[in-house]
Amino acid sequence: MKTKLFKFSVIAILIGLFVNTNSVAQDNKAKDFKMLYKFTTTKQADNSRLLEVSFIARHKKNRKNKIPIFDAEINFYNITEGENILLGTAKTNKKGLATLTLSENQSYFTDKDGYINLKAVFEKTAAIKLYEKSISVKDLMLDLNLEEIDSVKTVILKAYTLDSLNTKIPITDAEVIFSIGGMISNMPIEQATIEDGRYEFEFPTNIPGNIDGNLDVFVSVEDHEEFGNVIQKKTINWGNFNKKITKKENTLWSDAAPIWMYIVLTVLLVGVWANYAYTIFNLFKMKKEGKILEENIENQI
Amino acid sequence: MDLENRKRELVKEFSPLLLKTSKWSKIWMIALITIILIGLYAFILQFFKGHIVTGMRDNVVWGVYIINFIFFVCLSYSGAFIGGVLHFFKTPWKNSVARIVEIITVLSLIIGPIFILLCIGRLDRLHYLFIYPRIQSPITWDIIAIITDLIGCFIYLYLTFIPDFAILRDNSENMPKWRQKIYKYLAINYQDTKSQRERLHKITRTMSTMIIALAIVAYSVLAWIFSLTLQPGWNSSIFAPYFIIAGLYSGAAVIIIAMYLIRKYFKLDHYIRKIHFIGAGVVLLIMSLLYGYFTFSEYFSRWFSHKTHDINLLETLFTRYFWKFILANYIGILIPIAILFFKKLRSIKTITIAAVIAVLGLWLNRYLIVVPTLETPYLPIQDTREEFIHYSATWVEWSLSFAGIAAFILFFMLIMKLVPIIPMSGIIDQEREQKRKSKKRKK
Amino acid sequence: MKNNKPEKETSNRRNFIKLGLISSVSIAAGSSLISNLTLGEETEATGEKVKLLTPDGKIVEVAADNINKYPEALITPEESRKGIPNRKFVMVIDLAKCKNARKCVESCQKAHNLDYNEEFMKVQLIQDNPEASPYWLPKPCFHCDEPPCVTVCPTGATFKREDNIVLVDNDRCIGCKFCITSCPYSARQFNWGHKDKFDDKSQPYSPETSIPAAEGTVMKCDFCPDLLRQGKLPHCAKSCPMGVIYFGDKNEDIVTNGDETVSFSQLIKDRGGYRHLEHLGTKPNVYYLPAVNRQFPLERGFNVDEDIIERYKDVPYVQNLKKQGKI
Repeated sequence: MKTKLFKFSVIAILIGLFVNTNSVAQDNKAKDFKMLYKFTTTKQADNSRLLEVSFIARHKKNRKNKIPIFDAEINFYNITEGENILLGTAKTNKKGLATLTLSENQSYFTDKDGYINLKAVFEKTAAIKLYEKSISVKDLMLDLNLEEIDSVKTVILKAYTLDSLNTKIPITDAEVIFSIGGMISNMPIEQATIEDGRYEFEFPTNIPGNIDGNLDVFVSVEDHEEFGNVIQKKTINWGNFNKKITKKENTLWSDAAPIWMYIVLTVLLVGVWANYAYTIFNLFKMKKEGKILEENIENQI
Repeated sequence: MDLENRKRELVKEFSPLLLKTSKWSKIWMIALITIILIGLYAFILQFFKGHIVTGMRDNVVWGVYIINFIFFVCLSYSGAFIGGVLHFFKTPWKNSVARIVEIITVLSLIIGPIFILLCIGRLDRLHYLFIYPRIQSPITWDIIAIITDLIGCFIYLYLTFIPDFAILRDNSENMPKWRQKIYKYLAINYQDTKSQRERLHKITRTMSTMIIALAIVAYSVLAWIFSLTLQPGWNSSIFAPYFIIAGLYSGAAVIIIAMYLIRKYFKLDHYIRKIHFIGAGVVLLIMSLLYGYFTFSEYFSRWFSHKTHDINLLETLFTRYFWKFILANYIGILIPIAILFFKKLRSIKTITIAAVIAVLGLWLNRYLIVVPTLETPYLPIQDTREEFIHYSATWVEWSLSFAGIAAFILFFMLIMKLVPIIPMSGIIDQEREQKRKSKKRKK
Repeated sequence: MKNNKPEKETSNRRNFIKLGLISSVSIAAGSSLISNLTLGEETEATGEKVKLLTPDGKIVEVAADNINKYPEALITPEESRKGIPNRKFVMVIDLAKCKNARKCVESCQKAHNLDYNEEFMKVQLIQDNPEASPYWLPKPCFHCDEPPCVTVCPTGATFKREDNIVLVDNDRCIGCKFCITSCPYSARQFNWGHKDKFDDKSQPYSPETSIPAAEGTVMKCDFCPDLLRQGKLPHCAKSCPMGVIYFGDKNEDIVTNGDETVSFSQLIKDRGGYRHLEHLGTKPNVYYLPAVNRQFPLERGFNVDEDIIERYKDVPYVQNLKKQGKI
């Protein structure tokens, strides 16, 4: 009985393993993942609008296992009065991001409150169901002006939206960040909340900018419920870059050595090798002399 | 003629040295060739497997090869220096040892750079040193100095060989044909006429002064490879004079050992006499005193001012390298001084023992200069692998070191078969001088 | 006989229950064994391959795009001698935040195809004096302005560029190791023997990527110029979870650690930034912010492998901890 029991348990383990391998393979199918679908919009500095969808699958059990969904077709729509106007289509890249850039001339249909209603739809496939998200944004205008008032460099921001009659409505209660453009990322210099559509502050004097003194001033609104992301940029020559670009030549670590090294080396080497040449020259003379002597002796004999 | 007879006598006296090889010599040569072959095998292993077969790792990147390189090159420079001085000042008893000194000079300058080549990671790119040289680098200076010095010493050695080749050419009827041809070719028609002799003496004299200057400059350049860096233990202002003195010390010691061996095994007691040993011993004594003085200055100032990194270095020297330090810097200095200082203790045997101790001590001194500094860098080595923390040489490095020494001895023996080790023309010159002096005295 | 039957029945039942229990336990054990093994493998994709989910529900592995856009963005060894124009790169390391997470070390090793013990970025434990508290010191190559390594190279295989970066050209290095002895910060390493990864021809060689390395040549941290040309941070700065490593351009005076972007000169002035072994006159381009107001206690940093803790056995603090039996 004992051996029978033992045999049976071994078989049971083996069956369990085989059964489980299949279930593990199924663990990696689409249905074991929860899809994270995010839709954002950014109005960029050149007034174009960027629509971006992030479509990533996260494993239900192992939350650290995130796999981007690749080559999924996302349709972007502008919704108006029950009608969906297709703005464009984009496919997700290897990072799971689908982006569509609409130029500033793109006209949008707004609803009665002035909001542009956008929707991004992923049509359902055999393996993944339909995903869609809508956002409503108002078109925010950021007028960034850099002026020198009374020889003080000032940054003046006017933020407003346009209503149906194209009148400017200054916005209240929006957080903006002013930053300076940098090579890898932008450096924030001022953070503010806009009260009645206007903000101004003194530009700091210790920013070098690039080597010509030019710098980019960015103003950005991030993740606002009414406006989404909005960025505006202006370039100006307010950098106080004053380091002279001197190329240090003829140092120990440059390609060309200090001049005195060349001189000393040449003098020493010329001196020594001239001596060698003199010695060898004399040896040849000696050889010639000896040869003549030998010939003389032979002739005499 | 009297001169011609004398020359013939000398050739008769020295030709057994040139022509016959005793049984012991043959055995000795076979042993040396075996050691060289083992070294060759080690080299091939290193060439194909990479430097991982050595004991060098990321912190101690310079090991036994560089130590041997410095040691052999210092022998060469000190040989050049001593040879140049002997010739320039026309010291009376210089003749017997002059050739030994010069041959040591040239041979060690050939063997030394071979060790440096062993230390280079990519031998297939060696020509880059000549295509893309950077003259700010002490290694470039060293290459220029070694090549220049090698050619100079070679020319100088050849100049001293010429009169002997002439004598051998004229009196070589009993020698095999190939020897006669060689001597004729290498003697470049030197007929020992007055004008030729004068010319030869003139250029030999200028070369000897040049060699002295070159030796000092070239060995300082080698010392600067170490002292121009920032490392604790290397960045010392007296490194160049220290190396020169240490070089002279080891050179004098090796010359004594060579004199002893040649005197013993080739039965040249008549030519290499006690006075030579005493003279060389005095040189050794002076050098050992100077060497002890410089070594003491180096370590004393580091110990006294106790900078952190200097103290770390000294701690390594006195814990891990304690016995090596004692042997190199105490025994290696004090015993030779003790032996040579007292006239009673000076005999040929004891002077040679002092020289052997000096050579060993100096090799260890080189080891203590190169390796401990690399084991105590500014930022602590925080590693777990023992071979990355401490250096220990592998059999590849040791076998190549011994192969280098064996090659040195072998080439020395082969050159002794070409030209007599005691310059015959020097003997004739000496006798001529003595005759002239006695004539003067008679007048 | 009658007595045996009910006994036999009960024993049969017992056996059946035993069987059932054993089989269920073994199935459960087997499945958990398998799931542990495989779930553990479901980690991030390697640098070469990425796992992607297609719209029809299949998980595929494709070759990831090279983050530095090689081989199209190849900079040859001759081109790499000129730097990125008008930049002067500088790094700031905040010792107050470092807790020896070693993500910088690992991401650099992965990006440059290094073995476990080869580290361009080393993390050392430094205790300045017996009273001081030790601190973790991430130490890349400092790319000095007056580099002793460049001075002593006999063939010009290592060179200093206009943008402050010091690179090694593996095609020209002859392996004399003079630069390794000459660096006071022990920042350089040597490739002692042949390794298979040297034969990897998938990417053309550039001193800016340091891939593939070559036997018998020198290698070191290169500040990842291939990423800088894409406007991205070097691997170490990007992967530090605490934001310890700031990197940027001294000319525009901005450094960033991925989250914060600050003015370089202001950061150094406010936090008392210094350079290591300043008195040696090498003028390094990596600045350190002193380890004051630490974010983490030092013990957090000992949460690493045993052999890594072994490295620090000479630090008095570690010896104390060992005596107290805490590690």
